[in-house]
Amino acid sequence: MKTISIDPITRLEGHGKIEIFLNDQGDVENAYFQVPELRGFEVFCLGRPVEVLPRIVPRICGV
Amino acid sequence: MGKLKFALYWGAACGGCDVAVVDTHEKLLDIAAAADILFWPIAMDFKYHDVEEIADKHVDVCLFSGAVRNSENEHVAHLLRQKSKVMVAFGACAQLGGIPGLANEKRRQEILDYVYHGSPSTVSQKGVYPQETTSVPEGELRLPKFYDTVMTLDQVVDVDYYLPGCPPESARILEVVEAIVTGNLPPKGAVVGALDKALCDSCPRKREEKKVKAFYRPQEILFDLERCFLEQGLICLGPATRGGCSDPPRCIRSNMPCEGCYGPPPDVTDQGAKMLSAVGSIIDSQDPSEIKKVIDGIVDPLGTFYRFGLPASALRKKRFA
Repeated sequence: MKTISIDPITRLEGHGKIEIFLNDQGDVENAYFQVPELRGFEVFCLGRPVEVLPRIVPRICGV
Repeated sequence: MGKLKFALYWGAACGGCDVAVVDTHEKLLDIAAAADILFWPIAMDFKYHDVEEIADKHVDVCLFSGAVRNSENEHVAHLLRQKSKVMVAFGACAQLGGIPGLANEKRRQEILDYVYHGSPSTVSQKGVYPQETTSVPEGELRLPKFYDTVMTLDQVVDVDYYLPGCPPESARILEVVEAIVTGNLPPKGAVVGALDKALCDSCPRKREEKKVKAFYRPQEILFDLERCFLEQGLICLGPATRGGCSDPPRCIRSNMPCEGCYGPPPDVTDQGAKMLSAVGSIIDSQDPSEIKKVIDGIVDPLGTFYRFGLPASALRKKRFA
C-alpha cells in the first residue's frame, strides 16, 4: 500500500502530521491525523500559585 | 554576495518566537530582501524531506526556538545543525528550557497518566496512551518518543549564539539579523540581542534600602508604583536576569516584576541560585527561625526562581526518591 506523508503540517501553531494510505487503485484507503507533541501544561500548572498562571499559560500558544 | 539563507524551526514551543519575527512588521520585508527562508513551518510550506535535501552547511543561519522535549525535536535539531553554518538558540525555551522546562519537576509517566487519563476533562474508556508505533489495518503509524527530561538546544547540538527572551523582543531580533547580514557577529558562544548587565542596571525604579521583613504575593499588598519591587518584598528577578529586553525593561514598564525570561546575566551559570543569594542578602533578620518564616513567604520557589530555566540549571531536573 502506497503512503503519502504530510510532515510537518504547516502555517499553523503546533506540530502535526498526516499519513495517507492509498490502495492499489490509487484511491485513499484511509488517512490519519497525528499530533506528535506534548508539553504537559496540564500537569506542571497544578499546585502553582494562581497569580503565576496568567504568566505561564500564555505560553501554551503564543500565536 | 548572494542572498543569505535562513531556516526557522520550533521544537517544544508556543510559536511566540516566530510571532516575534513577524512582529518586526514592515521590516520583515527587509529581512526577506536580504535572505531566502528555506524552512519555517509556521509561515511556509516546506516539509522535512525538503530540509533533508538541502546540502550540508547551505543554510547560513538557523533560528531554533523551543526546547527539546521529544525525539522529533532532537532529530530536527541535529538535521538543521548539519545543514546550517550558524545555529542560534532563539528564545528562552531553546536557550534555557523555558516554560515547558517546568515539566522537569514531574516524572514522564506522571505527565502521561494525567494528560491521557487523570485530568477531569479527559475521558479515556479504552485506556489509550500514545505509542511510538501503532499498527493500523493499512500499515504502521509512528510518533516521536516523549523524553523523560526537557533539554535545552545546546544539550543536544552545538550552538553558536543565544538570543534570549520569552519571546525575544522584535527590535532585538532586527539588530541581530542586521549583525548577521553585515557580518558583525561576536565570538561563538555569545548571548546576542541583550545587554551584558543585570536587568536592575536599566530599571528606572527608585532604590532606597533593600531590607525586607516579609515577602508578599502581588495581590497581598498595595505597592509603590515607583519603588524597587524587591525592596517592597515582591520577588523580582532583576538581579538574576540579563537586561536588554527593552529600555525600560518591558515587564517593569507594565508594573510587573521581572520574571527572568532573559536568563542569567554574564558570569552567572545558575539563575535561580543567583536569585536565592540576592534574596538571602536582603532579609532583615539574624534570627534563623524568623528568616525561615520570611523565606516561607515565597510560595513557589522553583516556579519563581527557575520559571524559564530549570533544564539549564544545575538542578536540571527534580531528583525522585
